[in-house]
Amino acid sequence: MSDLVKFTLDGRELQAAPGTLVIDAAKKAGIEIPAFCYYEGLSLQAACRMCLVEVKGAPKLLAACTLPVAENMVIETESPTVVDARKFTLEFLLTNHPLDCPVCDKGGECELQDMVFRYGAGESRFTEIKHHVDEKQWSPVVFFDAPRCILCYRCVRICDEGMGVKALGVTNRGAYSEITPNMGSHLECDECGACIDICPVGALTSGIYRYQTRPWEMDHVGTICTHCGDGCKTTLGVRNNEIIRGNNRDRSGINGEFLCIKGRYAFDFINHPDRLQSPLMRVNGKLEEVSWSKALVAVAQKFSEIKAASGKIGIIGSNRTSNEENFYLRKFAQAIGTPHLDHRRTGDIATLLDALSGRADALATAEDLYTAQSVLVVGADLAQQHPFLAFQMRANWRHHQSRTFVVTQGPVREDAFATRNLRAEPGQEIDAVTTLADDLKSSGDLIVVFGDSIRGDSLRKLVSFIASLGVPAKYICLLDYSNSRGAFDMGLIPGDGGMSAPEMLAASDLDALWVVGANPLADAALASQNAFVVVQDLFLTETAQRADIVLPAASAYEKTGTVTNTCGQVQRLSKALNVMGAKPDLDIFHLIARGMRLDLGPAQPDKIFSEIRATVKGYDIPLPVIATGGAALTNPVNGNVPHAAASAALVRGSRDTLFTSGTLGRYSPILSKVMEAPGGLYRK
Amino acid sequence: MTLEELEPKAREMIGRYEQPRAAALPLLWLVQDNLGHISSEAEFWIGKQLAMSVAHVRELVSFYTMFRMKPAGRRELRVCTSLPCQLRGARDVLARIETHFKIRPGETTPDGELTLSEVECLCACELAPMAQLDEHFIGPLDGDTLGLLLRGSRIPDPQPFLSTGGPVISSRFRYPDGAWFETYLADGGYQSAGKALLHMTPDQIIEQVSAANLRGLGGAGFPAGRKWSFVPKSSPKPRYLVVNADEGEPGTFKDRYILERDPHALLEGMLIAARAIGSHKAYVYIRGEYIRPARRFARAVEEAYANGWLGKNIQGSSFDLDVVIHRGAGAYICGEETALLTSLEGGKGFPRLKPPFPAISGLFQSPTIVNNVETLACLPFILRHGPERFAALGTLRQGGTRLFSVGGHVSRPGLYEAPAGVSLRELIYNHAQGIRNGQRLKAVIPGGISAKVLTAEEIDVAMDFDSLTAAGTMAGSAGVIVMDESTCMLEALLAASRFFAHESCGQCSPCREGTGWIHRIVRRIWAGKGKPQDLDHLLAIAGDMEGKTICVFADAAAWPVQSYITKFRSEFEEHVHTGRCPASREAVACRP
Repeated sequence: MSDLVKFTLDGRELQAAPGTLVIDAAKKAGIEIPAFCYYEGLSLQAACRMCLVEVKGAPKLLAACTLPVAENMVIETESPTVVDARKFTLEFLLTNHPLDCPVCDKGGECELQDMVFRYGAGESRFTEIKHHVDEKQWSPVVFFDAPRCILCYRCVRICDEGMGVKALGVTNRGAYSEITPNMGSHLECDECGACIDICPVGALTSGIYRYQTRPWEMDHVGTICTHCGDGCKTTLGVRNNEIIRGNNRDRSGINGEFLCIKGRYAFDFINHPDRLQSPLMRVNGKLEEVSWSKALVAVAQKFSEIKAASGKIGIIGSNRTSNEENFYLRKFAQAIGTPHLDHRRTGDIATLLDALSGRADALATAEDLYTAQSVLVVGADLAQQHPFLAFQMRANWRHHQSRTFVVTQGPVREDAFATRNLRAEPGQEIDAVTTLADDLKSSGDLIVVFGDSIRGDSLRKLVSFIASLGVPAKYICLLDYSNSRGAFDMGLIPGDGGMSAPEMLAASDLDALWVVGANPLADAALASQNAFVVVQDLFLTETAQRADIVLPAASAYEKTGTVTNTCGQVQRLSKALNVMGAKPDLDIFHLIARGMRLDLGPAQPDKIFSEIRATVKGYDIPLPVIATGGAALTNPVNGNVPHAAASAALVRGSRDTLFTSGTLGRYSPILSKVMEAPGGLYRK
Repeated sequence: MTLEELEPKAREMIGRYEQPRAAALPLLWLVQDNLGHISSEAEFWIGKQLAMSVAHVRELVSFYTMFRMKPAGRRELRVCTSLPCQLRGARDVLARIETHFKIRPGETTPDGELTLSEVECLCACELAPMAQLDEHFIGPLDGDTLGLLLRGSRIPDPQPFLSTGGPVISSRFRYPDGAWFETYLADGGYQSAGKALLHMTPDQIIEQVSAANLRGLGGAGFPAGRKWSFVPKSSPKPRYLVVNADEGEPGTFKDRYILERDPHALLEGMLIAARAIGSHKAYVYIRGEYIRPARRFARAVEEAYANGWLGKNIQGSSFDLDVVIHRGAGAYICGEETALLTSLEGGKGFPRLKPPFPAISGLFQSPTIVNNVETLACLPFILRHGPERFAALGTLRQGGTRLFSVGGHVSRPGLYEAPAGVSLRELIYNHAQGIRNGQRLKAVIPGGISAKVLTAEEIDVAMDFDSLTAAGTMAGSAGVIVMDESTCMLEALLAASRFFAHESCGQCSPCREGTGWIHRIVRRIWAGKGKPQDLDHLLAIAGDMEGKTICVFADAAAWPVQSYITKFRSEFEEHVHTGRCPASREAVACRP
């Protein structure tokens, strides 16, 4: 280990790799050097001056956040000079700070408060009138209270560097410096709230969380966001059976602290007034509230009758229900002998797995996107549809100078840092991709990320073209919802002789249609006039309106289980709260099964997960990873499902944007507010 | 004129720079000069031209004081109330202007004719009290001149005292309209550059400049030859010479005269320096208020191109040099060399962390030497007459002469060339002809407003860098601000502290908050509301800022506080305890 640098920190002899910053070396050694502006992953600012340390031989105190360790450097982090400097810096920061902690959202978890408590002086010499500016609302999400701001530039940097949006700046100068949004009086951006989350003080607050609670009144439940397929961990702050906020400040999960507007704020569909809280049954042509037992008995009876008569029961599953639920639903279908099982497939994972047959380690994780030397994006607007994957790519480019190639229909945010970007109409991307051969050959290991237009033959062409390059390559098949991948892996596709979802809708002789967490009738009609329709959902969707029985389902935040993200990483859902009247889909399945006297085995998520691990190819993943809230990659490539059953032609992406999310998005007040807000910088 | 019509010009401007964003200030000027102000629409337009977020364009508009977001009057009057002008009655002048036009600073007359603003030092202290009317510097605004201004009559060009006798820099100041190419050539100009390009190696130039003991005359006093020697000899990146013509230190007005009257001396110096460091592109960053100096310098650049002293293969030497003039827009901090580079790259003038030093990684992350105008203007002399002769003019460790800007309460404010080691007493009493009206000397700031003040008893000190450092102050930019016995030191500190509070870039918290805090305390004492602990607090706050920030601005802001209060403590105490001014003997405060 001769290439390590030796230095002394607070009397301890330590070693670190050359180039290690003193602040990081100290952290590793368990010594805290306080800082506001220093932030892992962001460019160095060195502006707050909290991290000043004493270095033997240096005429002045030096900022530990920009000082690399050097051989024989002697550093003091608690000398009287350093202790004084911290005190004074905090006193400076408080001069124009309103000290309105009792009414500040941040009170109790404020870095400034904590720092002053730990390092600050007991009293201030400041007796002048503070500079005051009124609070401003910049968007439905973002509020800014300038006097609380300590100008650490974290928000500006996360927006510039992390999100690539560059919506914030610091105007004026000196003590009048002020964070200002891109539109002058308001903000037009991703509304991701990263600026709010990263703010060490209560200067940036969210329209969702502000003045709702004291932070210590909440319980924190880490679970997986139910919106897109990226699989971000979101930590829900829950108080009195109510979600007050979402964030991921503990940086657990694959996404670290990243969240988009949906993961951070769009949990609010839960309390939408239209949320179903009672089963509904069609009586005299109208849906009326009935008890759970009445509804369940009705469903079980009708299903039993149809089964007994060898009638056709079609089942359409969900992209959002858990693996356990999907697995159980497939068992259910088998038990009642129906091959008519499907779900809306948003990406052609079937063809990809088939094309990659026999290859292990061919699927990339979200982490891989941060480390790969090059990334090729084909037919996808990542910043809009997979914001976390886009974030990873951007971070990779910023931190590792990775090379990015983009082949999309229109301009995308990734163009800004792409080595090359090409425009191609959907379906014609592969011709454009082949022109990148020389670039791709010389760019090192590659991750190919593709959207729903790359399916069937064009996907096979893509895979064989990439194979011909002779560079190590992995793939991410983009899937649109939180458990699209799991729905496919658990086998929610037609069995032998089974109908696909569109075929079920078109079959005039369908006897029953059971729709779980999907809304196929939003843009299609049900041909069978007499079909008995059962719908499990949170809301009275177009499909639910056609139902004979509607069963109110719990959302992902109201249940346990596992989901598999678009990369094939399995993660655990934790239950954050109960919503009155609704039941997890698994419970509903189980109760219907019981009503039909079917023995489908235990209906506890953890027991089903054991079954999944034992029987679903690729799901034999280490339990401790899942149990501790980690993400386990399904491996090797899953080949459980006969590829032929999942027709590539039926693959259809959701076309969601940053501010839409299928049915749930329509019932999220914050997403609706953002859609209605002025502007449209990133909106489509 | 519309934004669309400006597009060809914008593209041409962008083409001058290695990175589009560096054209941000030029584009903002282009818009303001043609459309009168920078509208929100224009911010978006500029963002589009430069692939820059509008949030970051707006940062610039608000950071640089010369940019306007709203239309101004047909004429703009910017009245300087910085310390040197204040000493000569700027507050009275501003009050009379306000009364006459019935507007306050920041306002425009109802007929849209005149916009009035109060500004920090315009670096024309020889004209104090002075103002800038559109592009013209006018002053001294006493009696007649002020009357002409108020009546709207034409104001004759001022005739302040200037050294014209050399030996190093000022000899061509004798041409009031400037020493243009023919004159400069007839005076032996460009001989040194020819020598440097055709007959000397870069190492030889650096050796000669080092032997001449040429120090950086912008204020830091770093040996120029040594600075150049830090530039990596073999770097795949281009090397840049950047001329710091962002003269802004209150009390200083030397570079303006070089730009206006002897621009070719600067250009010749640039050629020599560029040859020494192997640079083929030089940027000259001129402060935004120096409109006429920039124009004159631009004329010299054109002449040099026309006569084969700039461009490709200069004088058959196969050495190339291109010069780009870059205008600042009103920010003192941009005189700090790293802030200047950030500004030149199209950012707010935020100083950068050192290391890396600009010589290793400066403009566009390439090796860069930033030299002051005066430093470069000394180079032709050194190469022409030999380093020994230059060195002999100065002290043991600082060669040559310096242009001393002497202002304040002297009988003859002006720009004096004198040996580097001239004594302060000699400067005040011989060159500037002593204190005006036979008053007694009270205090002197020897090197611009950042330097610690000296008392009347401390003026037997040589003005070179080392001697003044030894005397507990600094030579800085050689801006000498003289204060007579009528001066209220609290009011002097008020001006200084207001300056620093106004000019702090806001990047580092101790400086951003500390400068404002100090200013508020001083202003409160000045208003007769001092508290017993104020003076100790001021000293403590100044000490708490000092040495804690990225650049030395915070230190510079601390030094006046520390030196004024320490050296004139009883006067400050009397202010605090009685609310009276012992200097002016006025009842409450010293406000005129």
